[in-house]
Amino acid sequence: MIQLFNVVKNYGSGKPALNDVSLKIDKGEFVFLTGPSGAGKTTILKILFGWERFDEGQVLVQGINVGKLDAGNIHTLRRSTGVIFQDYKLLPNKTVFENVAFAQEVTNHDRKKIKFKTWEALKNVGLTPKKDSFPAQLSGGEQQRVAIARAMVNTPPIILADEPTGNLDQEISAEILKLFEEMNQNGATIVFATHSQDILRPGKHRVIVLNRGEVVSS
Amino acid sequence: MNSAVQTLLIGLRTTISNIRANKQTFLISVMTIAISVGILGVFLIVFFNLNGLLASWNQHVQVVVYLGDDISPSQKSDLKDLFKANAKIQSTEEVSKERAWQEFKLQQRDSADLDLGFNPLPASYRIRFNTSENRSLHISEFAEQIRGEPGVESVEYGEKWIVRFEKFMIVCRVFLLGVGVLLSLGLILIVSNTIRLSIYSRQDEIELMLLIGATPRFVKIPFLLEGVLQGLSGSLLSLGLMGAIYIYLKNEFQPSLESIARGMDFQFISQPFLWTLVGLSVLIGFVASYISTYQFMQALNKR
Repeated sequence: MIQLFNVVKNYGSGKPALNDVSLKIDKGEFVFLTGPSGAGKTTILKILFGWERFDEGQVLVQGINVGKLDAGNIHTLRRSTGVIFQDYKLLPNKTVFENVAFAQEVTNHDRKKIKFKTWEALKNVGLTPKKDSFPAQLSGGEQQRVAIARAMVNTPPIILADEPTGNLDQEISAEILKLFEEMNQNGATIVFATHSQDILRPGKHRVIVLNRGEVVSS
Repeated sequence: MNSAVQTLLIGLRTTISNIRANKQTFLISVMTIAISVGILGVFLIVFFNLNGLLASWNQHVQVVVYLGDDISPSQKSDLKDLFKANAKIQSTEEVSKERAWQEFKLQQRDSADLDLGFNPLPASYRIRFNTSENRSLHISEFAEQIRGEPGVESVEYGEKWIVRFEKFMIVCRVFLLGVGVLLSLGLILIVSNTIRLSIYSRQDEIELMLLIGATPRFVKIPFLLEGVLQGLSGSLLSLGLMGAIYIYLKNEFQPSLESIARGMDFQFISQPFLWTLVGLSVLIGFVASYISTYQFMQALNKR
Protein backbone atom coordinates (compact mmCIF):
# COMPACT_ATOMS: atom_id res chain seq x y z
CA MET A 1 0.00 0.00 0.00
CA ILE A 2 2.79 2.42 0.98
CA GLN A 3 6.39 2.01 -0.13
CA LEU A 4 9.38 4.31 0.25
CA PHE A 5 12.59 3.48 -1.64
CA ASN A 6 15.81 5.23 -0.59
CA VAL A 7 14.08 8.54 0.01
CA VAL A 8 16.26 11.59 0.67
CA LYS A 9 14.90 14.96 1.69
CA ASN A 10 17.03 18.04 2.30
CA TYR A 11 15.73 21.30 3.73
CA GLY A 12 18.97 23.20 3.50
CA SER A 13 22.66 22.59 3.36
CA GLY A 14 22.74 20.74 6.72
CA LYS A 15 22.07 17.10 7.46
CA PRO A 16 19.21 15.64 5.40
CA ALA A 17 15.78 15.51 7.09
CA LEU A 18 15.42 12.03 5.58
CA ASN A 19 18.45 10.03 4.61
CA ASP A 20 17.99 6.97 2.44
CA VAL A 21 14.71 5.95 4.05
CA SER A 22 13.10 2.76 2.77
CA LEU A 23 10.01 1.19 4.28
CA LYS A 24 6.90 -0.74 3.40
CA ILE A 25 3.45 -0.61 5.00
CA ASP A 26 0.89 -3.18 3.95
CA LYS A 27 -2.77 -2.65 3.27
CA GLY A 28 -4.84 -2.65 6.47
CA GLU A 29 -1.79 -2.29 8.70
CA PHE A 30 -1.64 -0.03 11.78
CA VAL A 31 1.87 1.40 12.07
CA PHE A 32 3.37 3.78 14.57
CA LEU A 33 6.11 6.13 13.40
CA THR A 34 8.15 7.19 16.37
CA GLY A 35 11.36 8.90 17.26
CA PRO A 36 12.56 12.11 18.90
CA SER A 37 11.74 15.56 17.57
CA GLY A 38 13.47 16.15 14.24
CA ALA A 39 13.63 12.42 13.51
CA GLY A 40 11.68 12.88 10.26
CA LYS A 41 8.22 11.58 11.25
CA THR A 42 6.30 14.64 10.03
CA THR A 43 8.44 14.85 6.89
CA ILE A 44 7.54 11.27 5.95
CA LEU A 45 3.83 11.98 6.48
CA LYS A 46 4.01 15.20 4.46
CA ILE A 47 5.70 13.34 1.62
CA LEU A 48 3.02 10.63 1.77
CA PHE A 49 0.22 13.11 1.08
CA GLY A 50 2.22 15.22 -1.35
CA TRP A 51 2.65 18.33 0.81
CA GLU A 52 6.43 18.13 0.60
CA ARG A 53 8.58 17.12 -2.33
CA PHE A 54 11.57 14.80 -1.86
CA ASP A 55 14.96 15.04 -3.49
CA GLU A 56 15.85 11.43 -4.18
CA GLY A 57 14.24 8.01 -4.18
CA GLN A 58 10.75 6.87 -4.98
CA VAL A 59 7.45 6.85 -3.08
CA LEU A 60 4.46 4.71 -4.00
CA VAL A 61 1.10 5.17 -2.29
CA GLN A 62 -1.63 2.83 -3.48
CA GLY A 63 0.37 2.34 -6.64
CA ILE A 64 0.57 6.09 -7.30
CA ASN A 65 4.10 7.34 -7.95
CA VAL A 66 4.04 10.41 -5.70
CA GLY A 67 7.12 11.97 -7.27
CA LYS A 68 5.40 12.13 -10.65
CA LEU A 69 2.39 14.07 -9.39
CA ASP A 70 2.09 17.80 -10.02
CA ALA A 71 -0.21 20.56 -8.77
CA GLY A 72 -2.84 19.59 -11.31
CA ASN A 73 -3.29 15.97 -10.19
CA ILE A 74 -1.98 15.78 -6.62
CA HIS A 75 -5.61 15.83 -5.41
CA THR A 76 -6.00 12.23 -6.60
CA LEU A 77 -3.47 11.16 -3.95
CA ARG A 78 -4.90 13.43 -1.25
CA ARG A 79 -8.43 12.13 -1.79
CA SER A 80 -7.27 8.65 -0.88
CA THR A 81 -5.58 9.81 2.34
CA GLY A 82 -7.17 11.30 5.43
CA VAL A 83 -4.77 13.51 7.35
CA ILE A 84 -4.95 14.44 11.03
CA PHE A 85 -2.70 17.09 12.53
CA GLN A 86 -1.52 17.80 16.02
CA ASP A 87 -2.95 21.35 15.80
CA TYR A 88 -6.24 19.98 14.37
CA LYS A 89 -6.39 22.56 11.54
CA LEU A 90 -10.08 23.27 12.05
CA LEU A 91 -11.64 26.35 10.48
CA PRO A 92 -12.56 28.66 13.36
CA ASN A 93 -15.47 30.36 11.57
CA LYS A 94 -17.22 27.07 10.74
CA THR A 95 -19.25 24.89 13.07
CA VAL A 96 -18.30 21.31 13.88
CA PHE A 97 -20.76 20.07 11.28
CA GLU A 98 -19.48 22.51 8.63
CA ASN A 99 -15.86 21.60 9.34
CA VAL A 100 -16.57 17.93 8.69
CA ALA A 101 -18.87 18.62 5.72
CA PHE A 102 -16.16 20.85 4.21
CA ALA A 103 -14.02 17.78 3.48
CA GLN A 104 -16.78 16.39 1.30
CA GLU A 105 -17.68 19.66 -0.41
CA VAL A 106 -14.23 19.92 -1.91
CA THR A 107 -14.56 16.43 -3.34
CA ASN A 108 -17.95 17.23 -4.88
CA HIS A 109 -20.56 15.12 -3.16
CA ASP A 110 -24.18 16.02 -3.44
CA ARG A 111 -25.75 17.87 -0.53
CA LYS A 112 -27.93 15.04 0.78
CA LYS A 113 -24.97 12.69 0.81
CA ILE A 114 -22.83 15.30 2.53
CA LYS A 115 -25.39 15.68 5.34
CA PHE A 116 -25.78 11.95 5.80
CA LYS A 117 -22.07 11.16 5.80
CA THR A 118 -21.19 14.09 8.07
CA TRP A 119 -23.82 13.01 10.56
CA GLU A 120 -22.49 9.48 10.45
CA ALA A 121 -18.87 10.59 10.97
CA LEU A 122 -19.86 12.79 13.91
CA LYS A 123 -21.81 9.89 15.40
CA ASN A 124 -18.73 7.65 15.10
CA VAL A 125 -16.62 10.09 17.11
CA GLY A 126 -19.45 10.84 19.55
CA LEU A 127 -19.85 14.50 18.68
CA THR A 128 -23.41 14.82 17.37
CA PRO A 129 -24.51 16.90 20.41
CA LYS A 130 -21.78 19.42 19.56
CA LYS A 131 -22.49 19.69 15.85
CA ASP A 132 -23.42 23.40 16.01
CA SER A 133 -20.52 24.43 18.24
CA PHE A 134 -17.52 26.32 16.92
CA PRO A 135 -14.01 24.91 17.46
CA ALA A 136 -13.18 27.53 20.09
CA GLN A 137 -16.06 26.22 22.21
CA LEU A 138 -14.60 22.68 22.28
CA SER A 139 -11.95 21.01 24.43
CA GLY A 140 -8.69 19.79 22.84
CA GLY A 141 -9.92 16.21 22.76
CA GLU A 142 -13.18 17.24 21.12
CA GLN A 143 -11.37 19.30 18.53
CA GLN A 144 -9.17 16.35 17.70
CA ARG A 145 -12.26 14.17 17.33
CA VAL A 146 -13.67 16.70 14.86
CA ALA A 147 -10.42 16.47 12.91
CA ILE A 148 -10.69 12.68 12.95
CA ALA A 149 -14.29 12.85 11.77
CA ARG A 150 -13.18 15.14 8.96
CA ALA A 151 -10.40 12.72 7.96
CA MET A 152 -12.67 9.67 8.02
CA VAL A 153 -15.78 11.20 6.45
CA ASN A 154 -14.67 10.36 2.92
CA THR A 155 -13.67 6.85 4.06
CA PRO A 156 -10.15 7.08 2.67
CA PRO A 157 -8.16 3.84 2.54
CA ILE A 158 -5.18 5.49 4.29
CA ILE A 159 -5.19 7.63 7.44
CA LEU A 160 -2.08 9.64 8.27
CA ALA A 161 -1.95 11.11 11.75
CA ASP A 162 0.75 13.51 12.86
CA GLU A 163 1.01 13.49 16.66
CA PRO A 164 -2.78 13.45 17.03
CA THR A 165 -2.53 13.01 20.80
CA GLY A 166 0.36 15.43 21.28
CA ASN A 167 -1.73 18.03 23.09
CA LEU A 168 -4.02 15.68 24.97
CA ASP A 169 -3.90 14.02 28.37
CA GLN A 170 -3.47 10.27 28.76
CA GLU A 171 -7.14 9.43 29.19
CA ILE A 172 -8.26 11.40 26.14
CA SER A 173 -5.29 10.06 24.16
CA ALA A 174 -6.49 6.53 24.87
CA GLU A 175 -9.97 7.44 23.57
CA ILE A 176 -8.49 8.94 20.43
CA LEU A 177 -6.31 5.90 19.87
CA LYS A 178 -9.41 3.74 20.17
CA LEU A 179 -11.02 5.71 17.34
CA PHE A 180 -8.00 5.00 15.14
CA GLU A 181 -8.17 1.32 15.99
CA GLU A 182 -11.84 1.27 15.00
CA MET A 183 -10.99 2.88 11.66
CA ASN A 184 -8.26 0.28 11.21
CA GLN A 185 -10.72 -2.52 11.98
CA ASN A 186 -12.96 -1.04 9.29
CA GLY A 187 -10.17 -1.56 6.80
CA ALA A 188 -8.16 1.68 6.82
CA THR A 189 -4.37 1.61 6.78
CA ILE A 190 -3.14 3.81 9.65
CA VAL A 191 0.21 5.59 9.90
CA PHE A 192 0.33 7.19 13.33
CA ALA A 193 3.27 9.44 14.17
CA THR A 194 3.89 9.87 17.88
CA HIS A 195 6.69 10.23 20.38
CA SER A 196 4.46 9.24 23.31
CA GLN A 197 5.67 6.05 24.98
CA ASP A 198 2.25 5.65 26.66
CA ILE A 199 0.64 5.22 23.28
CA LEU A 200 3.26 2.71 22.13
CA ARG A 201 3.42 0.68 25.37
CA PRO A 202 0.62 -1.83 24.67
CA GLY A 203 2.73 -3.11 21.74
CA LYS A 204 -0.25 -4.19 19.65
CA HIS A 205 1.02 -2.58 16.43
CA ARG A 206 4.21 -2.41 14.40
CA VAL A 207 6.52 0.46 15.37
CA ILE A 208 8.92 2.14 12.95
CA VAL A 209 11.61 4.03 14.82
CA LEU A 210 13.31 6.98 13.18
CA ASN A 211 16.31 8.94 14.34
CA ARG A 212 17.93 11.90 12.58
CA GLY A 213 16.20 11.08 9.31
CA GLU A 214 17.08 7.42 9.26
CA VAL A 215 15.06 4.27 9.99
CA VAL A 216 16.52 2.71 13.12
CA SER A 217 14.13 -0.21 13.34
CA SER A 218 10.97 -1.31 11.63
CA MET B 1 -26.56 17.73 -10.38
CA ASN B 2 -23.69 18.08 -12.81
CA SER B 3 -20.36 18.25 -10.93
CA ALA B 4 -19.18 21.39 -12.79
CA VAL B 5 -22.41 23.20 -11.89
CA GLN B 6 -22.05 22.03 -8.30
CA THR B 7 -18.45 23.27 -8.16
CA LEU B 8 -19.65 26.62 -9.50
CA LEU B 9 -22.45 26.83 -6.93
CA ILE B 10 -20.11 25.99 -4.07
CA GLY B 11 -17.69 28.55 -5.52
CA LEU B 12 -20.44 31.17 -5.58
CA ARG B 13 -21.35 30.44 -1.97
CA THR B 14 -17.70 30.80 -0.97
CA THR B 15 -17.46 34.01 -3.01
CA ILE B 16 -20.40 35.53 -1.15
CA SER B 17 -18.89 34.57 2.17
CA ASN B 18 -15.50 35.99 1.01
CA ILE B 19 -17.21 39.26 0.12
CA ARG B 20 -19.03 39.37 3.47
CA ALA B 21 -15.75 38.80 5.29
CA ASN B 22 -13.94 41.53 3.32
CA LYS B 23 -16.82 43.95 2.66
CA GLN B 24 -14.72 47.07 2.89
CA THR B 25 -11.99 46.00 0.46
CA PHE B 26 -14.61 44.68 -1.93
CA LEU B 27 -16.49 48.00 -1.85
CA ILE B 28 -13.29 50.02 -2.30
CA SER B 29 -12.42 47.92 -5.32
CA VAL B 30 -15.92 48.25 -6.78
CA MET B 31 -15.81 52.02 -6.29
CA THR B 32 -12.39 52.23 -7.96
CA ILE B 33 -13.69 50.29 -10.94
CA ALA B 34 -16.82 52.48 -11.02
CA ILE B 35 -14.73 55.67 -11.03
CA SER B 36 -12.41 54.36 -13.75
CA VAL B 37 -15.29 53.17 -15.92
CA GLY B 38 -16.90 56.55 -15.23
CA ILE B 39 -13.83 58.41 -16.51
CA LEU B 40 -13.73 56.23 -19.61
CA GLY B 41 -17.47 56.62 -20.03
CA VAL B 42 -17.34 60.42 -19.84
CA PHE B 43 -14.61 60.46 -22.50
CA LEU B 44 -16.73 58.14 -24.64
CA ILE B 45 -19.79 60.38 -24.25
CA VAL B 46 -17.73 63.44 -25.26
CA PHE B 47 -16.31 61.49 -28.18
CA PHE B 48 -19.72 60.28 -29.38
CA ASN B 49 -21.19 63.74 -29.19
CA LEU B 50 -18.25 65.32 -31.04
CA ASN B 51 -18.70 62.59 -33.64
CA GLY B 52 -22.38 63.45 -33.78
CA LEU B 53 -21.51 67.12 -34.22
CA LEU B 54 -19.12 66.25 -37.04
CA ALA B 55 -21.78 64.11 -38.69
CA SER B 56 -24.35 66.88 -38.32
CA TRP B 57 -21.95 69.43 -39.87
CA ASN B 58 -21.14 66.95 -42.61
CA GLN B 59 -24.81 66.66 -43.47
CA HIS B 60 -25.00 70.41 -44.01
CA VAL B 61 -21.92 70.64 -46.14
CA GLN B 62 -22.73 71.66 -49.70
CA VAL B 63 -20.48 72.25 -52.67
CA VAL B 64 -20.67 75.70 -54.19
CA VAL B 65 -19.44 75.84 -57.79
CA TYR B 66 -18.69 79.47 -58.72
CA LEU B 67 -18.99 80.24 -62.45
CA GLY B 68 -16.92 82.63 -64.49
CA ASP B 69 -18.77 85.68 -65.81
CA ASP B 70 -17.82 84.62 -69.32
CA ILE B 71 -19.26 81.10 -69.14
CA SER B 72 -21.00 80.13 -72.36
CA PRO B 73 -24.45 78.46 -72.48
CA SER B 74 -22.91 75.27 -73.86
CA GLN B 75 -20.36 75.14 -71.01
CA LYS B 76 -23.26 75.62 -68.56
CA SER B 77 -25.15 72.80 -70.20
CA ASP B 78 -22.06 70.52 -70.01
CA LEU B 79 -21.83 71.25 -66.29
CA LYS B 80 -25.51 70.42 -65.76
CA ASP B 81 -24.98 67.11 -67.60
CA LEU B 82 -22.08 66.35 -65.27
CA PHE B 83 -24.28 67.01 -62.21
CA LYS B 84 -27.02 64.79 -63.58
CA ALA B 85 -24.59 61.97 -64.27
CA ASN B 86 -23.42 61.88 -60.62
CA ALA B 87 -25.76 59.57 -58.70
CA LYS B 88 -24.49 60.81 -55.34
CA ILE B 89 -25.85 64.29 -55.94
CA GLN B 90 -29.16 64.90 -54.19
CA SER B 91 -30.08 68.34 -55.54
CA THR B 92 -28.66 71.18 -57.60
CA GLU B 93 -29.70 74.78 -57.18
CA GLU B 94 -28.69 77.46 -59.65
CA VAL B 95 -27.99 80.89 -58.15
CA SER B 96 -27.75 83.70 -60.67
CA LYS B 97 -25.51 86.74 -60.20
CA GLU B 98 -28.61 88.81 -59.41
CA ARG B 99 -29.95 86.39 -56.77
CA ALA B 100 -26.52 86.16 -55.17
CA TRP B 101 -26.39 89.94 -54.93
CA GLN B 102 -29.93 90.12 -53.49
CA GLU B 103 -29.11 87.49 -50.86
CA PHE B 104 -25.88 89.28 -49.99
CA LYS B 105 -27.69 92.59 -49.60
CA LEU B 106 -30.30 90.90 -47.40
CA GLN B 107 -27.58 89.54 -45.15
CA GLN B 108 -25.82 92.90 -44.98
CA ARG B 109 -28.91 95.08 -44.56
CA ASP B 110 -27.48 96.74 -41.43
CA SER B 111 -24.34 97.86 -43.26
CA ALA B 112 -23.92 101.18 -44.98
CA ASP B 113 -24.86 101.81 -48.59
CA LEU B 114 -24.00 98.77 -50.72
CA ASP B 115 -24.57 100.41 -54.10
CA LEU B 116 -21.24 99.74 -55.86
CA GLY B 117 -22.59 100.48 -59.33
CA PHE B 118 -21.88 96.89 -60.41
CA ASN B 119 -22.51 93.33 -59.19
CA PRO B 120 -19.21 91.73 -58.07
CA LEU B 121 -20.70 88.34 -57.16
CA PRO B 122 -20.46 85.38 -59.53
CA ALA B 123 -23.28 83.05 -60.50
CA SER B 124 -23.05 79.62 -58.86
CA TYR B 125 -24.51 76.16 -58.34
CA ARG B 126 -25.26 74.93 -54.81
CA ILE B 127 -24.99 71.17 -54.82
CA ARG B 128 -26.20 68.89 -52.01
CA PHE B 129 -25.13 65.30 -51.73
CA ASN B 130 -27.05 62.20 -50.64
CA THR B 131 -26.42 60.86 -47.13
CA SER B 132 -23.99 57.98 -47.43
CA GLU B 133 -21.11 56.44 -45.54
CA ASN B 134 -18.39 58.16 -47.56
CA ARG B 135 -20.22 61.40 -48.12
CA SER B 136 -17.26 63.69 -47.43
CA LEU B 137 -15.05 61.59 -49.73
CA HIS B 138 -17.63 61.82 -52.52
CA ILE B 139 -17.79 65.57 -52.00
CA SER B 140 -14.04 66.08 -52.20
CA GLU B 141 -13.76 63.78 -55.24
CA PHE B 142 -16.51 65.69 -56.99
CA ALA B 143 -14.95 69.05 -56.08
CA GLU B 144 -11.63 67.97 -57.58
CA GLN B 145 -13.35 66.73 -60.74
CA ILE B 146 -15.36 69.89 -61.30
CA ARG B 147 -12.56 72.34 -60.44
CA GLY B 148 -10.89 72.01 -63.85
CA GLU B 149 -14.06 72.22 -65.96
CA PRO B 150 -14.34 75.11 -68.46
CA GLY B 151 -16.43 78.00 -67.11
CA VAL B 152 -15.77 77.07 -63.46
CA GLU B 153 -13.99 79.79 -61.53
CA SER B 154 -13.69 78.07 -58.15
CA VAL B 155 -15.20 75.38 -55.98
CA GLU B 156 -15.77 75.65 -52.21
CA TYR B 157 -17.05 73.18 -49.68
CA GLY B 158 -15.33 73.95 -46.34
CA GLU B 159 -12.82 71.14 -46.76
CA LYS B 160 -10.24 72.68 -44.45
CA TRP B 161 -12.71 72.67 -41.54
CA ILE B 162 -13.76 69.10 -42.15
CA VAL B 163 -10.21 67.81 -42.52
CA ARG B 164 -9.15 69.63 -39.36
CA PHE B 165 -12.09 68.28 -37.39
CA GLU B 166 -11.53 64.77 -38.71
CA LYS B 167 -7.89 64.95 -37.61
CA PHE B 168 -9.04 66.10 -34.19
CA MET B 169 -11.36 63.09 -33.97
CA ILE B 170 -8.44 60.75 -34.79
CA VAL B 171 -6.45 62.34 -31.94
CA CYS B 172 -9.51 61.84 -29.72
CA ARG B 173 -9.67 58.16 -30.65
CA VAL B 174 -5.96 57.63 -29.85
CA PHE B 175 -6.38 59.52 -26.58
CA LEU B 176 -9.40 57.40 -25.63
CA LEU B 177 -7.53 54.22 -26.43
CA GLY B 178 -4.54 55.39 -24.36
CA VAL B 179 -6.71 56.36 -21.40
CA GLY B 180 -8.56 53.04 -21.70
CA VAL B 181 -5.34 51.00 -21.69
CA LEU B 182 -3.87 52.96 -18.75
CA LEU B 183 -7.04 52.70 -16.69
CA SER B 184 -7.32 48.98 -17.47
CA LEU B 185 -3.76 48.34 -16.31
CA GLY B 186 -4.37 50.37 -13.15
CA LEU B 187 -7.56 48.45 -12.47
CA ILE B 188 -5.84 45.10 -12.95
CA LEU B 189 -3.31 46.12 -10.29
CA ILE B 190 -5.98 47.33 -7.87
CA VAL B 191 -8.34 44.36 -8.30
CA SER B 192 -5.51 41.84 -8.13
CA ASN B 193 -4.41 43.39 -4.84
CA THR B 194 -7.94 43.22 -3.46
CA ILE B 195 -8.20 39.58 -4.44
CA ARG B 196 -4.79 38.94 -2.93
CA LEU B 197 -6.04 40.35 0.37
CA SER B 198 -9.07 38.10 0.09
CA ILE B 199 -6.81 35.10 -0.58
CA TYR B 200 -4.53 35.86 2.35
CA SER B 201 -7.47 36.30 4.69
CA ARG B 202 -8.51 32.73 3.80
CA GLN B 203 -5.05 31.25 3.44
CA ASP B 204 -5.63 28.59 6.13
CA GLU B 205 -8.86 27.55 4.49
CA ILE B 206 -7.23 27.30 1.07
CA GLU B 207 -4.37 25.23 2.43
CA LEU B 208 -6.84 22.95 4.14
CA MET B 209 -8.89 22.63 0.96
CA LEU B 210 -5.78 21.52 -0.90
CA LEU B 211 -4.78 19.17 1.92
CA ILE B 212 -8.09 17.36 1.81
CA GLY B 213 -8.04 16.90 -1.93
CA ALA B 214 -9.55 20.00 -3.55
CA THR B 215 -8.56 20.53 -7.16
CA PRO B 216 -6.77 23.81 -8.03
CA ARG B 217 -9.87 24.75 -10.05
CA PHE B 218 -12.09 24.31 -6.99
CA VAL B 219 -9.82 26.62 -5.00
CA LYS B 220 -9.56 29.26 -7.72
CA ILE B 221 -13.22 29.52 -8.73
CA PRO B 222 -14.46 31.59 -5.73
CA PHE B 223 -11.69 34.16 -6.23
CA LEU B 224 -12.20 34.34 -9.98
CA LEU B 225 -15.92 34.86 -9.37
CA GLU B 226 -15.11 37.57 -6.85
CA GLY B 227 -13.01 39.42 -9.44
CA VAL B 228 -15.72 39.04 -12.06
CA LEU B 229 -18.35 40.30 -9.57
CA GLN B 230 -16.18 43.30 -8.75
CA GLY B 231 -15.86 44.17 -12.43
CA LEU B 232 -19.55 43.66 -13.08
CA SER B 233 -20.80 45.64 -10.08
CA GLY B 234 -18.29 48.45 -10.65
CA SER B 235 -19.23 48.91 -14.29
CA LEU B 236 -22.99 48.61 -13.71
CA LEU B 237 -22.85 51.09 -10.85
CA SER B 238 -20.89 53.55 -12.95
CA LEU B 239 -23.02 53.19 -16.08
CA GLY B 240 -26.21 53.44 -14.03
CA LEU B 241 -25.04 56.69 -12.47
CA MET B 242 -23.89 58.05 -15.82
CA GLY B 243 -27.22 57.09 -17.36
CA ALA B 244 -29.07 59.03 -14.67
CA ILE B 245 -26.84 62.09 -15.14
CA TYR B 246 -27.27 61.81 -18.92
CA ILE B 247 -31.08 61.82 -18.65
CA TYR B 248 -30.92 64.88 -16.40
CA LEU B 249 -28.54 66.75 -18.72
CA LYS B 250 -30.53 65.82 -21.81
CA ASN B 251 -33.72 67.15 -20.30
CA GLU B 252 -32.02 70.36 -19.20
CA PHE B 253 -29.73 71.17 -22.11
CA GLN B 254 -31.03 69.45 -25.26
CA PRO B 255 -32.85 72.61 -26.51
CA SER B 256 -29.68 74.72 -26.16
CA LEU B 257 -27.66 72.04 -27.94
CA GLU B 258 -30.09 71.97 -30.82
CA SER B 259 -29.66 75.70 -31.26
CA ILE B 260 -25.85 75.26 -31.47
CA ALA B 261 -25.92 72.33 -33.89
CA ARG B 262 -29.08 71.95 -35.91
CA GLY B 263 -30.76 68.56 -35.45
CA MET B 264 -28.04 67.25 -33.19
CA ASP B 265 -29.16 64.89 -30.45
CA PHE B 266 -27.24 64.66 -27.14
CA GLN B 267 -26.06 61.05 -27.23
CA PHE B 268 -25.24 58.50 -24.52
CA ILE B 269 -22.66 55.73 -25.05
CA SER B 270 -23.91 53.52 -27.87
CA GLN B 271 -25.10 50.06 -26.90
CA PRO B 272 -22.18 48.07 -28.36
CA PHE B 273 -19.75 50.32 -26.46
CA LEU B 274 -21.86 50.01 -23.34
CA TRP B 275 -21.60 46.22 -23.44
CA THR B 276 -17.92 46.51 -24.33
CA LEU B 277 -17.35 48.59 -21.18
CA VAL B 278 -19.18 46.05 -19.01
CA GLY B 279 -17.34 43.19 -20.73
CA LEU B 280 -14.00 44.96 -20.33
CA SER B 281 -14.60 45.48 -16.58
CA VAL B 282 -15.58 41.85 -16.13
CA LEU B 283 -12.51 40.77 -18.09
CA ILE B 284 -10.28 43.03 -15.99
CA GLY B 285 -11.79 41.52 -12.81
CA PHE B 286 -11.20 38.03 -14.12
CA VAL B 287 -7.62 38.66 -15.31
CA ALA B 288 -6.69 40.43 -12.07
CA SER B 289 -8.03 37.66 -9.86
CA TYR B 290 -6.50 35.02 -12.13
CA ILE B 291 -3.07 36.67 -11.70
CA SER B 292 -3.45 36.72 -7.90
CA THR B 293 -4.68 33.13 -7.56
CA TYR B 294 -2.07 31.89 -10.01
CA GLN B 295 0.73 33.59 -8.07
CA PHE B 296 -0.59 32.24 -4.77
CA MET B 297 -0.88 28.69 -6.06
CA GLN B 298 2.59 28.89 -7.59
CA ALA B 299 4.00 30.01 -4.23
CA LEU B 300 2.25 27.09 -2.51
CA ASN B 301 3.53 24.59 -5.05
CA LYS B 302 7.11 25.78 -4.70
CA ARG B 303 7.21 24.65 -1.07
